Amino acid sequence: MSLAQKGRWVALAGLALLGGVYVRALAFTPIERFQGPAQKIFYVHVPAAVTTELAVILVGLAGAFFLFLRDPRLDRFAEASAEVGTVFAAIVLVTGPIWGKPVWGTWWTWDARLTSTLFLFFLLIGYQVLRGAVADPGLRARYCAVLGICAVVLVGFVHMSVYLFPTLHPQPIVIRPGKPALPPEMLITLLMSFGVFLILYAGFVMQRYAIAEQRVGATHD
Amino acid sequence: MTEGVPQNAGYLLAAYIAVPAILIAYAVSLYRRSKKL
Repeated sequence: MSLAQKGRWVALAGLALLGGVYVRALAFTPIERFQGPAQKIFYVHVPAAVTTELAVILVGLAGAFFLFLRDPRLDRFAEASAEVGTVFAAIVLVTGPIWGKPVWGTWWTWDARLTSTLFLFFLLIGYQVLRGAVADPGLRARYCAVLGICAVVLVGFVHMSVYLFPTLHPQPIVIRPGKPALPPEMLITLLMSFGVFLILYAGFVMQRYAIAEQRVGATHD
Repeated sequence: MTEGVPQNAGYLLAAYIAVPAILIAYAVSLYRRSKKL
């Protein structure tokens, strides 16, 4: 079985398991008293956000290692992870406003967390554009490695933005100093969803990596 | 028991439809690109 086929199965399993997360979130997780059912958007929004951050950190790490080792597999992994990270960032930017409207009363506000997340999404789009704009594979890999490392700095800012500029966006309740501030039923659902998003990330990266490899093969033929 | 709880399940439904829609669209895109090469 090829890497692309394996990735397809992993992604399909992830999609099926997402259905399980929905069942758990809708039927077995309590409704938050002040926010109502819309609070349950949290179970897809937060895991998508954490997976985006993870994807970008891995892009930066692969880029940093590429600059030292010059291994093209690292560049291909960074390419795959950046694209998948863009998809998860899109999920964050779609689900966030859908939650914001009933809870904050507005779809969007130029809060530091929202603005920096939007900027991260644009940076990831810019990363794809840069990949398409530079024809020389060596140069492209070097430029993208540097941009990937810059994106990691932005991820740090996105994460810290709620502490640096506390406005509307809630502060982290799981990835924070001390214990997660969430009832166990909600925490279990959130962790399950995070596991499913990691499976989806892995499945998509495997497929995207295989495409990058096929393209290199097609260029050499 | 649900007294005073906001009734906003429509937003939840919209988000829970949007997420798999984006994921499936991307999965299809990956599948089509891998078949093209």
